[in-house]
Amino acid sequence: MDTENLLKELEQLFQEVLKKGSVILTVDTTANDVEGWDSLTNMLLISAIEKKYTIHFGFREIVKLKKVGDLCNAIILKSK
Amino acid sequence: MASCFFIGYYHISFLLTALVISFMTFYFGKLIASTQQDKKIRWLYFSSVSLLIIVWLILRHPEGMESVVNRVFPLIDLPWRVSQHSVLFPLGISFYTFQAISYLTEIYWGEEEPENNVFDFMLYMLFFMKFLSGPIERPSGLLHQLKEKKEFNYDMVTFGLKLMFIGLMKKVVLADNMAPYLDGMYGSLHDASGMQLVMTCLLYPIQLYADFSGYTDIALGGAAMFGFNLTPNFDRPFISKTTAELWRRWHMSLSFWVRDYVYIPLTSETRGWGRWGISFSLLVTFISLGIWHGAGWNYAMYGFIQGVIITYEMQTANFHAKLADKLGKSLYNGLSIVRTYLLFALSLIFFRAESFHDAIYFLTHMSFSINHSWKELNIGMSDHNCVVAGITLVLMLVYEHYNSKQNIIELVSKKNTAVRWIIYYVLAFALFTMGGFNTDTFVYLQF
Repeated sequence: MDTENLLKELEQLFQEVLKKGSVILTVDTTANDVEGWDSLTNMLLISAIEKKYTIHFGFREIVKLKKVGDLCNAIILKSK
Repeated sequence: MASCFFIGYYHISFLLTALVISFMTFYFGKLIASTQQDKKIRWLYFSSVSLLIIVWLILRHPEGMESVVNRVFPLIDLPWRVSQHSVLFPLGISFYTFQAISYLTEIYWGEEEPENNVFDFMLYMLFFMKFLSGPIERPSGLLHQLKEKKEFNYDMVTFGLKLMFIGLMKKVVLADNMAPYLDGMYGSLHDASGMQLVMTCLLYPIQLYADFSGYTDIALGGAAMFGFNLTPNFDRPFISKTTAELWRRWHMSLSFWVRDYVYIPLTSETRGWGRWGISFSLLVTFISLGIWHGAGWNYAMYGFIQGVIITYEMQTANFHAKLADKLGKSLYNGLSIVRTYLLFALSLIFFRAESFHDAIYFLTHMSFSINHSWKELNIGMSDHNCVVAGITLVLMLVYEHYNSKQNIIELVSKKNTAVRWIIYYVLAFALFTMGGFNTDTFVYLQF
């Protein structure tokens, strides 16, 4: 799985969870850049990602995810 | 040293309590960071945070803790009895305990390194400009600033003085002109007419905001004079369109604290429950936030109401988006601002009332009925006080609106000397002639 494809999959997933027509993600995107991605929806996104890739994040790992690039790296690492 | 003198001046036990808690936190931080095994780190972290919470509970609610011990261990006769006056509630403990928990949690999460300089850490915990009522600082904010070299900065000193003056205006001219009358209403609920209760409900958020944001401006201004930038606590809360937004603008250092250290860990644990996990976490978080203010059911209800409203807003977000399209953005935003203010004002009845029963009495007796005449609408305030408070409120809202676009203090500083000093003299004259100098405390000092 490469980052570019993963970003496309994540965009689709973000659109479903946040119920937004279009979400564009890059490795530098943070919650501040995406409308609707806030403390009320953050864990819904994490939970959806865990289900999609059948992985599990520990809480201290979640705290370290500052931007989408960190999220991609964590998914790739855990999916291996 | 100045901070220690400031705290010890009130009562030497306040200083000793703050020093013990600060030293304890400093060494726990080092211990957590130097431990290798994950299990042991976890145990150390949870023990140290539990200890901080227990100490806070014992000192904050001594009678409640005695009653809990008596219930859990009914056969043990405690060798002491807590009377209402035997235990002094250490000023500022709720604020610096939360700062201590924040420090330990950031180290546990690996977000911060433990502080090596005990004097810097003491200043982080005890800095006198934020000691009494916050803002609740994070290690990444104040502790990092302590490492920077501080030199006398004329611009920062004058900026700080002006911010303190604005805080004084909010506190003395607005909050203190309203406080005696609102206190009077809450002190004699059974004598008040339905309409007076409605007015009290509507005006209390303004008094509370002017009092607490006034205090915060004074704290931020004082800190700026020493070259420190403290965390802002308010960001024009009365323009919020939802209660969730209001809590991103009201007492921000506390609401962000509970978000990061209570709500987010809870949502992480309950993320398998979907939206119900978010709702559950919201309720627990806001009830905790309410109870932080006091042990009564009224404070728990105050928090519970916030949690319920935000849950409702989250569950009906799509409906509200469609409603906004139908009504038009301007009308919908205007109505949303009014709705958010009214809901907050109603919830504050539980915050301000002496007891849960008083709050229920208040809510069930609000009406448009009057006892004698429509003059009751002013809840006992003289016409002079109404005009002063009204004009100050409008000026404050206008100042905050424009200040959000351009720093007004800096703008005034660039004016020529005559204009600047005319503004200073007019404001100083207004402060001394129209200020209500009949109270000597701040609402949030009790917490």
